[in-house]
Amino acid sequence: MGMKASNAIATFFKYFVLILVGLIMIYPLLWMISATFKDNSEIFAGIGLWIKNPTLEGYKNALNNFGGSINILQAMLNTYSYVLPKVICTVVSSCIAAYGFGRFDFPGRKILFSIMLATLFLPQVVLNVPQFLLYTKFGWVNSPFYLAIWVHCAFATETYFVYQLVQFMRNVPRDLDEAAAIDGCSSFQTLYKVIVPMLMPALVSCALFQFMWSCNDFMGPLLYVQTPAKYPMSLFVKLSMDGDTGFAWNRILALSLISILPQLIVFFCAQDQFVEGISAGAVKG
Amino acid sequence: MSKAISRRDFLKVSGAVGAAGLLAACGGSSNTGSTATSTAASSAAASVAGLSSDPVTLTMSWWGGESRHNAYQEAIKAFSAEHSTITVNPTFAAWSGWEDTMSTKFAGGVAEDVCQINWNWLYNYSKSGQTFIDLNSVSDYLDLTQWDEAKLAACNVANAQQCVPVSMTGRIFYWNKTTFDKAGISFPTTLDELMAAGKTFQEKLGDDYYPLHLGAYDRMILMVFYLESKYGKDWADPTTSTLNYDADQIAEGIDFIKSLVDGHVIMSLPTYYGSNGDNAAHQSTEWITGKLAGCFEWDSSATKYADALDEENKAGFTVGEEIKFGDYNGGFSKVSMGLAITKTCEHPAEAATLINFLLNEEKGASIMGSECGIPASKAGLAAAQAAGAVKELVAEANGKVMAFVSNQLDPLFESNDLKATGTGIYQEVFDTLDYDNASGADLVDTLLDGMESVGYSV
Amino acid sequence: MKESKAPSLGRTPAQKFFDKWQGLFYLIPWIIGFVVFKAIPFGQSLYYSFTDMDFFNGIHQYGIMNYVDAFTTPKITKALITTFKYSFITVPLKLVFALFIAYILNFKIACVNVFRTVYYIPSILGGSVAIAVLWKAVFRDDGLVNTLIRMLTFGHFQGPSWLSDPGYALWIICFLRIWQFGSAMVLFLAALKGVPADLYEAATIDGAGKWKQFFSITVPMITPIIFYNLVTQICQAFQEFNGPFIITNGGPRGSTTLISILVYNYAFKSNQMGMASALAWIMFVIVCILTIIAFTSQKKWVYYSDER
Repeated sequence: MGMKASNAIATFFKYFVLILVGLIMIYPLLWMISATFKDNSEIFAGIGLWIKNPTLEGYKNALNNFGGSINILQAMLNTYSYVLPKVICTVVSSCIAAYGFGRFDFPGRKILFSIMLATLFLPQVVLNVPQFLLYTKFGWVNSPFYLAIWVHCAFATETYFVYQLVQFMRNVPRDLDEAAAIDGCSSFQTLYKVIVPMLMPALVSCALFQFMWSCNDFMGPLLYVQTPAKYPMSLFVKLSMDGDTGFAWNRILALSLISILPQLIVFFCAQDQFVEGISAGAVKG
Repeated sequence: MSKAISRRDFLKVSGAVGAAGLLAACGGSSNTGSTATSTAASSAAASVAGLSSDPVTLTMSWWGGESRHNAYQEAIKAFSAEHSTITVNPTFAAWSGWEDTMSTKFAGGVAEDVCQINWNWLYNYSKSGQTFIDLNSVSDYLDLTQWDEAKLAACNVANAQQCVPVSMTGRIFYWNKTTFDKAGISFPTTLDELMAAGKTFQEKLGDDYYPLHLGAYDRMILMVFYLESKYGKDWADPTTSTLNYDADQIAEGIDFIKSLVDGHVIMSLPTYYGSNGDNAAHQSTEWITGKLAGCFEWDSSATKYADALDEENKAGFTVGEEIKFGDYNGGFSKVSMGLAITKTCEHPAEAATLINFLLNEEKGASIMGSECGIPASKAGLAAAQAAGAVKELVAEANGKVMAFVSNQLDPLFESNDLKATGTGIYQEVFDTLDYDNASGADLVDTLLDGMESVGYSV
Repeated sequence: MKESKAPSLGRTPAQKFFDKWQGLFYLIPWIIGFVVFKAIPFGQSLYYSFTDMDFFNGIHQYGIMNYVDAFTTPKITKALITTFKYSFITVPLKLVFALFIAYILNFKIACVNVFRTVYYIPSILGGSVAIAVLWKAVFRDDGLVNTLIRMLTFGHFQGPSWLSDPGYALWIICFLRIWQFGSAMVLFLAALKGVPADLYEAATIDGAGKWKQFFSITVPMITPIIFYNLVTQICQAFQEFNGPFIITNGGPRGSTTLISILVYNYAFKSNQMGMASALAWIMFVIVCILTIIAFTSQKKWVYYSDER
């Protein structure tokens, strides 16, 4: 009996915490959704979700375009046309680099690894100007293929992910590699036949993080995308933010909301893959 | 950016990567096309290649709101219809962050061929004429006689006509009639009436109603306005940037702003930040719902204040009268923005033709209307007026400002280090005034030190 | 990316040489990327940091004046202190919070997908314009937080003026970072799933309670990820830019001006590349030192299963 009661209390406590925290997490988003239906005077009048005079103006205006050159759908397409190559390049190149760091011992490995880690601390903000000059030299600025935004990812420059994969790889027992080597696998075959399947959850999480971060990136597009027809979402929302005429909060919020919908959906669908997946991977082997 | 970076730009920038080579690269010494002429009134256009018969691609950039984006784009369409060999690729965005982007591009030598520029950029980014060409070299394509000498002179830096003014602008009061009616008073036209309005608002409408709103930079401009009306001289000498006021006078100016806060004429800054953070005034609930019933704005940017008001208040937005705070007419007018051609432009003749079309020619100017303020070009103004493309609100305000103000602005006044939101000295001074309940005398040194650091002689 | 098969026995010297160096082979892309996209630009910035570099007037002066100025200018030392405060508040809180929630989510919970998504939503919003609007609405004088404070204290207590009081403004930025604990949580969740269930079973048979299990099994097993999260969070916190940039723009009265904001302002607003570079390098050195400390402590508390 006592055991059961304490279990019930524990369960209650778990759900209580989860729901309470969940509310804190999601209330601002709910407020934002309701605010997209409010007009300027009502939007900050209170913190409630109730809408006195619902209006669809925000969404109607969100579909406006700027002189015919860009609208919200085009902006979303633009965003994903550099986010996808960026994600793919990042995952592939980081995985290869992590394999090099995580599984081999060669003279100078420690030094290279420290250098790699040190690049974690390079403040991006000061790299902006020299990098801008560099990309200008390459002719990548305002490239129709957004080269300046994603090409560097093919060279494992996203240190966070390399490091993350190295950490995860350390939890994959080396016995597996050795077994594969005895079976006659080359080191590259070991990588894609043994390591990659084991690391799948971690790889998916890298892909997902990179996806989320790239979608929200503002500085990169600001510097490297100059043709309005090529603007991604982040610039498009900003473009609408300080329009001189007809400033309407509901429109800005509607735009922001539409812009994060794909990310919400992707996360909701992909989460099982990488959170659940890991239990089937590394440890059982 | 024309399709890819051209070979010449490529070479320039490769020089720029070595830090030492940077100055030379920006100086554009390798650029033969543009500014051999440095004498102001050269009429010969010998230094630039004529109009090309081959297809030419130009790039152009501007900042602004949606209606300006639409106007420019439409005008560009009309231009291309007339000049079928010239294609114009535009780049545009909102103002915030724009200067940061542009300065990076100027530094890298990759700015657009034709740029809409803020007046003080001439001094910040092309002090020795390193960034923009001398428009006298393209005067065959761009009719410079459409501008008054004085207006052109304001854009002549390093002995080169680096841009042509699009419009002139100055600050004026705007009032919300709906709220003033509620308070039962008419718009203030003198200092006494302004102070009285503060009191009436507080008593009749409540503590959260104010007749006027001023942000930190607005406060600085109004303070200068006040001092100019009192003492009748420019804030600083426009050519030498020597400050014309001494510490006591400046302290008096700061105390004037303080008296407005104390008299409930304007909201104290902490109160404003408390509910709006650093949001612009026209985006604040207080403005939208009419609790802040006045502003002191550029005549060219007042539309956004009118448009943001809610249904009840929208109709009441009115251009006020300038207020005479002393024996003289205070206030200054300035070039609101200019169009310039960068030194990296390969087709200056075509670029000049484009500027001429936008500002001087009937077709272009009638499309542009008052989207960038009241046209400074005489032909442009006539065309815009004839086409009925000049907004009444803008025209009325501009008329009042130009008839009233009598002082000139110096180029350092708008330096980023002084006026920037959040980081500028002006904000520091007026924040401290309200937060620490300081007095003018306490703050003069902060202001003067800041001004000295950007190049004023004080 | 082709290699010969490596037989496990009887290696020729050539094969031995290859075995020794093949790891480096996988690092070739990284090395190219590092040199071109990181080392060269950063080297340039190191050079600039010893000059009075300005893109429009070039260089007139060489020396360590930027570094001297950095430690003598009140504005900058204040920003340094603020950055430390910010990091020391947010890093532990965020990690503990993320681990706590991940731990609960790791039990059999109904609708776990929904909860995970809900917790991740703040991170999706990232540093977008939406956050700027939202956070100001939440912390304004009569916003969500203050209304809650009033309700919970039955009107006896009025919350502070978060957006305008320099003493409280930093907390707004801190809360934002902690609120966006999703990424750290997801990593913890993945790590928690990796803890073998038989370990818990054994512990339950031995009679260890949930708390004891948590500290004696769970935590040690996921130390690599705790360590990873710690290091990356320190780096990110010290480089934090978006939050203060979009929400407070460093204000009020510079109370949320972190070093990265100053770097940006120097570089892109006042066009002082030299100073901006020097500040970035100071930041870099600080983070390096903290990370070196973390790495030396690693041996004491981080457990890796690929080491024996």
